[in-house]
Amino acid sequence: MQLIVESLETKLGKKEIVKNISLLVENQKFVGVVGPNGCGKSTMLKSIYKSLPTHKGTVVLGDMDVLKTSQKKISQKLGVVGQFNEMYFDLTVEQMVLLGRTPHKKLLEVDNQADIDIVENALKQTNLLDYKDRSYLSLSGGEKQRTILARTIAQQPQFMILDEPTNHLDIRYQLEILQCVKKLNIGILAALHDLETAAQYCDYLYAMKDGRIYTSGTPEEVLTPETISELYQIKCETYKNPITNQLGFVYQI
Amino acid sequence: MNMEKGSSVRQKQIFYVFVLFFLLCAIAITAVYSVSIGQVSIPFQQSMQIVLHTITNGHLGSLDQVESDSYTNIIMQVRMPRVVFALLIGMGLSLCGVVMQAIVQNPLADPYILGISSGGSLGATFAILVGFGSGTVLAQFGVAFGAFAGAMATSILVLVLSSIGGKVTSIKLVLSGVVIGALCSSLSSLVIFFANDAEGIKSVTFWTMGSLASSSWSKVPIMAIVVLAGCFLFLFQHRVLNTMLLGDESAITLGINLSVFRKLYMIIAALITGTMVAYSGMIGFVGLIIPHICRGLFGSDHKRLMPASLLFGGLFLMWADVLSRVLVANVELPIGILTSVIGCPLFIYMIVKKGYNFGG
Repeated sequence: MQLIVESLETKLGKKEIVKNISLLVENQKFVGVVGPNGCGKSTMLKSIYKSLPTHKGTVVLGDMDVLKTSQKKISQKLGVVGQFNEMYFDLTVEQMVLLGRTPHKKLLEVDNQADIDIVENALKQTNLLDYKDRSYLSLSGGEKQRTILARTIAQQPQFMILDEPTNHLDIRYQLEILQCVKKLNIGILAALHDLETAAQYCDYLYAMKDGRIYTSGTPEEVLTPETISELYQIKCETYKNPITNQLGFVYQI
Repeated sequence: MNMEKGSSVRQKQIFYVFVLFFLLCAIAITAVYSVSIGQVSIPFQQSMQIVLHTITNGHLGSLDQVESDSYTNIIMQVRMPRVVFALLIGMGLSLCGVVMQAIVQNPLADPYILGISSGGSLGATFAILVGFGSGTVLAQFGVAFGAFAGAMATSILVLVLSSIGGKVTSIKLVLSGVVIGALCSSLSSLVIFFANDAEGIKSVTFWTMGSLASSSWSKVPIMAIVVLAGCFLFLFQHRVLNTMLLGDESAITLGINLSVFRKLYMIIAALITGTMVAYSGMIGFVGLIIPHICRGLFGSDHKRLMPASLLFGGLFLMWADVLSRVLVANVELPIGILTSVIGCPLFIYMIVKKGYNFGG
């Protein structure tokens, strides 16, 4: 399923945060969005999945006009892994993941064996089978994030949006999460803060600055020393990592 | 390993069903015990025969051993409405407690959090000390009307206030509730300050402590319809209630617009609470504590939490009522005092023994 965003504009209060953004995520591609804090990455993603009202523009997912479709219909096709949020009440990991079935259920419908199987499968993909009965609030940051990912997988989306999914996570958990997302083989649009992971996992990249797309292309095209210096206001050199053969970065103020 | 886990889940399920069954039995037995005590003490055996005989229309139980004919009358006409009231109000309070805690995503919430308590108090205080004037239609309903009107007016005001600027969020709700509540409290104080009526002030105080003394069969239908309809509705809302615990952001990505459901649930909960406040005054603590005790036992999943809270709340208030009548001979203590006196130790036990950490 492909996502087409055209001339999207979003205001928070009177301030324009997202300015005339257009982007394309082709079917089954992993597309990343990079840019400094406050450049409007999160706001743009939230506008796309309608958590924030958009001022102008169109968002089309497959053959669905997202901005004109009900939230329930959207959530049947589009899954979102957001940044952490606080919870004051506890659920078990299984109950948490089972909530991912919500979009596919009528208001009074109960969970059946098929739902339980889907949840079981999502837990397996995220290596959480042994955590099924654990309380969500007792989990570590990485485990919590994996639970949220499992919930989104249980939603069986055909497209996934991730908003800095690996924020605050240790290296192993970062890799596990992205590895797992990549294996889903669906269209992905992810805001990422680590350039090396962006280079490693993304098929295509958009670089954002001040609410606009600064440039876009393959990781090699976008992640040049000049662009990175301009985006983040630092000195930067890139090199080819001799061990992984991936792009490497050296930063300096 | 997997089999062990499967069986532990099944064990939990069996435990849950067993507890529900136990609560139902306990409610039935408590009802019979409750109707047998009072100024005229009727032996438990005979009460049971009378209740069985009346409920089944004579198919079960026999009145042969019943010592006095007036017993049937005392039990079915005088005491039974009160027991039914205690059950309904207990259920209603814990229902609204569970719902409010989910709506505002805060374990401190209770049915009165949206200023309903102070609004109801203001209405009742006004009705008792100032009155709606004799001869008007309103005067006939008196305190009950005042309390209901006050409760509904404040909850609508709170809802409007928290809707300003778009979405109804939990923080806006709590703050609006506190602000409107404070305003109503000071208005009540103002009415009391200017009222030169010692007797009236005493009734206001009694009203704020809650009482089931005014129960009668004529009031049961309204109460039953409101509370049972509410219970029925919310028993099937566990999916939305669970999603509420996740917060606005996650709920939206699961296709549920919390802002809409918050408003809807709040109006329903305010209606239920307003009706209860009108008939029985302020019975504190039940709506706060019963949901927490049930969470400690069964977790926060509303599918399990809701039925357990309803039954446990009903049973709890029935026992509070029994104790309010037997603790001090010939005196009926205000039930609001009892709910806190029994509730607190139960809650402390939960924290100490079960390591319960307030839902979080």
